[in-house]
Amino acid sequence: MILKTMFEKSWHQAGSVFRLSYSIAKANFKIRNEGSYLGVFWYLLNPLALFLIILFVRKAIDMGDVPAYPAYLLVGLIMFNYFRSTTSAAIGDISGNSNYIKSMKISYEPLVFSRIIESVFSHIFEIVLIIVLLIFFNESLIGILFYPFLFFFFVLFVSGVSFFLSTIGTFVSDLSNVWNVFMQFLFFTTPIFYVVNPGDSVYSANLFNPMFYFLSVGRDIIVYRAFPESWMIAAIVLFSCVTFFAGFVIFEKNKHKFAERV
Amino acid sequence: MEEYRIIVENISKKFVRDYSSQETFLSKTLSFLFGKSHRVEFNALNDVSLRLPKGKILGVIGKNGEGKSTLLRIIAGIFKPDSGEVKINGSMVYLAGFGQGLKQKLTMRENIYLIGSIRGLDKKEIESRFEEIVEFSGLREYIDTKVYQFSAGMMTRLSFSITIFCIAQKNPDILLIDEAIGGGADITFQKKALDKMEGLINRGTSVIFVSHNLFQIEKYCDEAIWLKNGEIFMRGNSKEVVGAYVNAYSNDGNVKGYIEKKMSMKNKAAVKKVY
Repeated sequence: MILKTMFEKSWHQAGSVFRLSYSIAKANFKIRNEGSYLGVFWYLLNPLALFLIILFVRKAIDMGDVPAYPAYLLVGLIMFNYFRSTTSAAIGDISGNSNYIKSMKISYEPLVFSRIIESVFSHIFEIVLIIVLLIFFNESLIGILFYPFLFFFFVLFVSGVSFFLSTIGTFVSDLSNVWNVFMQFLFFTTPIFYVVNPGDSVYSANLFNPMFYFLSVGRDIIVYRAFPESWMIAAIVLFSCVTFFAGFVIFEKNKHKFAERV
Repeated sequence: MEEYRIIVENISKKFVRDYSSQETFLSKTLSFLFGKSHRVEFNALNDVSLRLPKGKILGVIGKNGEGKSTLLRIIAGIFKPDSGEVKINGSMVYLAGFGQGLKQKLTMRENIYLIGSIRGLDKKEIESRFEEIVEFSGLREYIDTKVYQFSAGMMTRLSFSITIFCIAQKNPDILLIDEAIGGGADITFQKKALDKMEGLINRGTSVIFVSHNLFQIEKYCDEAIWLKNGEIFMRGNSKEVVGAYVNAYSNDGNVKGYIEKKMSMKNKAAVKKVY
């Protein structure tokens, strides 16, 4: 009986956190797009521009023979861009909302969750871009149906990193500069526009890079329509659950200091 | 506990402030590595205790930076005290300034829904209050206008209307008000706002009220405390505390003249209502 009321209470709380997150996400989405869906174009501009540039310079640099390279490249770019844009924005989720935090008693989780919801929504448009490309290159669309399974864990991973960054962002004022440099570093060390094979030193280094697993499995599913290797799936489940749990715990442990810091 | 809404026991709060140059990544790393950091500490609150009986209104006065807002934020649960305890009996809403939280690039309608949900109302509740909010703000024709095109006074009106009806919907047992009455809007609206506010307070809500408007403190509060350097310097009947406070700062000729002028205004009935 006590368990039941406890469950009902936490269910109710989760519901109100989600509703608030959704309202904030909706408002932020409207602000970013100035009320029109044309704004969605701007999300796609960055990966699209990189896509065209890399396709263009590919002739000059030998990056090995990759089957279905355009799709390989675009899936990598889009997934990396999702990670980069969501986590970079998360840095300011607490410190940028000081007017709410100081003038109202609100829970802080929705401020971060809303960013995740917003990012999931904008990711749909990025997926549409991939679908368009697959159709253009006459590839089968069947693989993309299985992408949501991977995306669920990807969101879990990105949420963990976001909770961690939004916490650190309240203590370190210029975190976004540091994170930008780190993202550059990660962009070039992750096989996004090139290929790594077992035995390379880059490959071995990438075994410690969660993004490597997400990208590899994403490509297996969408581009090559192959069942990913089981150790890769295990790594993804492990990385995403541990990251989410760690990020969330760090956030919860520090949230009582937020109001004083922003 | 039964007869009290709030019991605050011996709370203290110390703020540690880094120099702003100390808040960057590089300086944090350096000071972490070499163990050198310059920090300023100050006591915002020192051993403060108070009790708020059911249905009573407690005023808090004091100069800027003496700990009034910190006290309210600790009671509201926004700040965590270093030591001491806060016991709350009932539901509570913390209210600090109007004009906060409006999103400039959203329309009035969108802002009502956003702030409503941040204040803890669900969609149905906001819908049920929507008409009242629009009506009270007197801004019906701007309902789909983006807020950045509003004048400062219009923003105050909108923000006040949303907040006040959200509070009315939540119907809290306790209100914590920090410097929230009046401001920006024209005289007609101020009167309306004050009446609405009075209505909320006078239905048995227990209130802690921080203000620099001494007449409001005198008029509404049963009791008052005077915070000085983070400590309760004086407490008692609101008239006595306000009197002592005015005396303490009326040595300064300018201040004295200003207060006397305001006191004489107080006696003119027409103005009194608005203040």
